[in-house]
Amino acid sequence: MNEVLLTLGFGLVTAAILALSAVAFTLEYAVTNVANLSHGEILTIGAYAAYVIQRATGNILFAALGAAVAGGIIALVMYTAVIDIFVRRGIGTMSTLIATLGMSFVIQNILVIMFGAANVAYTIPQSAPQQIGPFLWTSTEEEIIISALCITAILYVIITHTKFGKALRAVFQNRSLARVTGINAQLVAAVTWFLAGMVAGYAGFILAESVGTFSPYFGFSFFLITLTAAVAGGLGKPFSTMAGALIVGIALEFTGGYISASYELAFAFAILAIIILVRPRGLFTKAGRTLFE
Amino acid sequence: MIQYLVSILTEGAIFGIMALGLNVIWGWSGDFDLAYYGYVALGAYMTLVLTIGPPFPPTEYILGLQLPYLVAVPLAMLSSAIMGLIVGLIALRHLRGIYFSIVTLGAVYVLYVMAGQYVPLFNGYNGLYGLFNPMGAALGLDFQSYQYFFLGFCLFIFILVLIFMARVSGSRFGLALRSLREDERAAAAFGRDIYLLKLKAYVLGAAFGGLAGGLFAAYLSAFNPSAWAPIEAIILYSAVLVGGKGNIKGVVLGVVIMIMLIQESTRFLPEFPGNPAVVPALREMVVGAVLVLFLLFRPQGLLPERRYVDRFSYDNIDPGVAVLPAQAREASSHLPSPAQDGEQSSSTALSPLSVAESVAEAPVHQPLAQDRTEVPASEAAVLIVEGLYKHFGGVAAVDNCSFRVQKGQVTGLIGPNGAGKSTAIDLISGFKLQDAGSVVFEDTAIQGMPPHRIARLGLIRTFQTPREWPGLSVLENVLLARWDPEREALWRGIIGLRRFHHLTAKSELDRAREILAEFGLSKLSNERAGNLSGGQKRLVEFARIRMAEPKLVILDEPMGGVNPVLGERMAKAIDGFIISGTSVIIVEHNLPFIERVAHNVIVMSQGSVVATGPFESLRSNQSVIDAYLGEVPV
Repeated sequence: MNEVLLTLGFGLVTAAILALSAVAFTLEYAVTNVANLSHGEILTIGAYAAYVIQRATGNILFAALGAAVAGGIIALVMYTAVIDIFVRRGIGTMSTLIATLGMSFVIQNILVIMFGAANVAYTIPQSAPQQIGPFLWTSTEEEIIISALCITAILYVIITHTKFGKALRAVFQNRSLARVTGINAQLVAAVTWFLAGMVAGYAGFILAESVGTFSPYFGFSFFLITLTAAVAGGLGKPFSTMAGALIVGIALEFTGGYISASYELAFAFAILAIIILVRPRGLFTKAGRTLFE
Repeated sequence: MIQYLVSILTEGAIFGIMALGLNVIWGWSGDFDLAYYGYVALGAYMTLVLTIGPPFPPTEYILGLQLPYLVAVPLAMLSSAIMGLIVGLIALRHLRGIYFSIVTLGAVYVLYVMAGQYVPLFNGYNGLYGLFNPMGAALGLDFQSYQYFFLGFCLFIFILVLIFMARVSGSRFGLALRSLREDERAAAAFGRDIYLLKLKAYVLGAAFGGLAGGLFAAYLSAFNPSAWAPIEAIILYSAVLVGGKGNIKGVVLGVVIMIMLIQESTRFLPEFPGNPAVVPALREMVVGAVLVLFLLFRPQGLLPERRYVDRFSYDNIDPGVAVLPAQAREASSHLPSPAQDGEQSSSTALSPLSVAESVAEAPVHQPLAQDRTEVPASEAAVLIVEGLYKHFGGVAAVDNCSFRVQKGQVTGLIGPNGAGKSTAIDLISGFKLQDAGSVVFEDTAIQGMPPHRIARLGLIRTFQTPREWPGLSVLENVLLARWDPEREALWRGIIGLRRFHHLTAKSELDRAREILAEFGLSKLSNERAGNLSGGQKRLVEFARIRMAEPKLVILDEPMGGVNPVLGERMAKAIDGFIISGTSVIIVEHNLPFIERVAHNVIVMSQGSVVATGPFESLRSNQSVIDAYLGEVPV
């Protein structure tokens, strides 16, 4: 068995989860120009919602759906209760960013009160890994990859082939101009946040499945990796973000696999710092040569 | 009870120092630095490894020295400053706003993971301990009296830091720092090296973080990763925000409210049966919610940043005298200027059209035409642009553009939209890098220089939209236009002799007041510049140029959105620039205005110069007509 291919296989699983989380983050950014630092909490809530439903019904499919719906609802609440007010009042993006950080702490601690700070886990029977092509995956990992591909395909169709997708892109390019041309930017943003929340909630569920255990803080630590992927791809651009997630996910698995997994976050940051210094607007763009360019 | 009070006050003093350090970076420099708590932690760790002696297995950590506490703390400050320098060098170079925050978040996370996971560094998650009552043994204090002594020690340092910060706040360095926060482009255009200034502030802030960390380590007598969990940082940030960032008193108030009152009062809540995590969780929720609510309803904090209030009465200033600076007043005695020749010549100077008519009959009334005949053109050029080239993607915005600008003249730079005028200005002033070509300003090749160096040579530009420093007062805006490396040095602000400080400041202040009176802005002197109308902001820009007294000024569409009456005032001001020895390039779409003020006109089209000459001569120039109206097939 080739070790490189084995690591690549794990890297693809990480990349699949990361791609969903990062694309959701970038969609949130696209319609509101806000880097949502409480994005990680959407994942956490998705994981807990799935946990509650799985314990109540024992059905993993319901759990997955529940994670998506809960993620969508919490993202919509974040948008309507906080973000939208900041955007409508014309409060700067930095202040909104700081507010999302505050929001993140509020949500984390609500979860601590509800579920306690200790780690919990799903009770899912683990299947033995099977050989799929050159990779060695468990059935859960196969599900993760297949579902990520399906969600990507659906997002692609929505963003590029529907009227809503067109409106979304218009709001990203120029919010005021989009509004002048009759697009309800607020509605577009709310729907986008709901959609992104569903994707992120589901990502939280598969992340928890893949990691095994989770706590109220687990989304926040995955968030730095999400941020790396999103910035690598270019904030606000969904499909470049996915490409960024693929690169970062595989890179992390290789560094983690060959050096040490506990420094994964440090590696994520090293990658992020290099990308930001070389290509501040994302890997697939050309950087200006001076601060003002 | 007394002991508890002593402990809270000590904690308050330590957090006060922390918050004041953060305020330099976040409040004045305006960078939301998420790495700040990392500098506090590093200071604490370094203090411990420098004082507690060699490790006993299985404990592991670096250094393990037994230095005196008072030596260890400055070294801890130094290590935090070095760490800040490294992060700042990387993060401040090109990154602002959320990108800066993201990188600093990453930096602190790396430090956090390293401290927690890499055991040989600071003993991993178990952390370091064993710094008991530093200085206590030497002074022969028992446990009880040591508490009082340490409180006094912390308060003493806190007051020193407070005085230091008050001096920085009132210094030119502090003012320049705030101007960066308000508008970096304008700051660079008036000679501020933004990277260096921001870096200085960042390292300064980090060093104070390290100092607070050193005290914190002694207060806790130990330090481990749970002492600097993200929530601790958030409490600190909320204290600065709630109190009022930028305002020293506000920051201290914020520490009292958030750290001494809210955090402490929640300690007295009864424990929740069955779930001991509830009370700390509630406390963290309150902190998060306070952050959101303050950002929404009172983003400036309880005590907002204060602007310098000038109590000067303008009644005694004669605007007529103020129009000309001293050397220009002297020079004007040789020149037939508006001030001397009365109404007739003033109208000729203002209107090149009437000048053109009068050239044939009375060339004597034309000082500038006279200059041109007396001085050879090559010597009289203040700016020589040769073969300038810049492309964006496949479009050549500036394509082999060459022209020269005569000293002591108003040169109009006109051309249809997309002709490359704005890009040309950006290239000349250093705000964009050219792909090819050279720019010579007063015998110095300036192509490729950063904007602040070009500005320091005496070439200042304005922007299409007024770029005032909105959060500063009108007077502060004008004062800051003059870049003075002597007075802007950080050390001068802190230890500078007050008398010297005061004297130079006074002549400068007088000049600024004169200029405000000249532009009719004296009533608005203490107003926040961001509250002015569009036209008033234009006047502030002109006042700033007057204050800076550059050799050449480039005005980028100064008439945009300006009413005719104000236009009149601007024409006069431009005239004043020439008289005081400032050559002028003016980019404008308002051709009657150009015709009125410009001695010479350069016409650009599709990235290069198609014609030059006095306005009158261009009326019949075919390439100019083509440029504006499109080529007409013959």
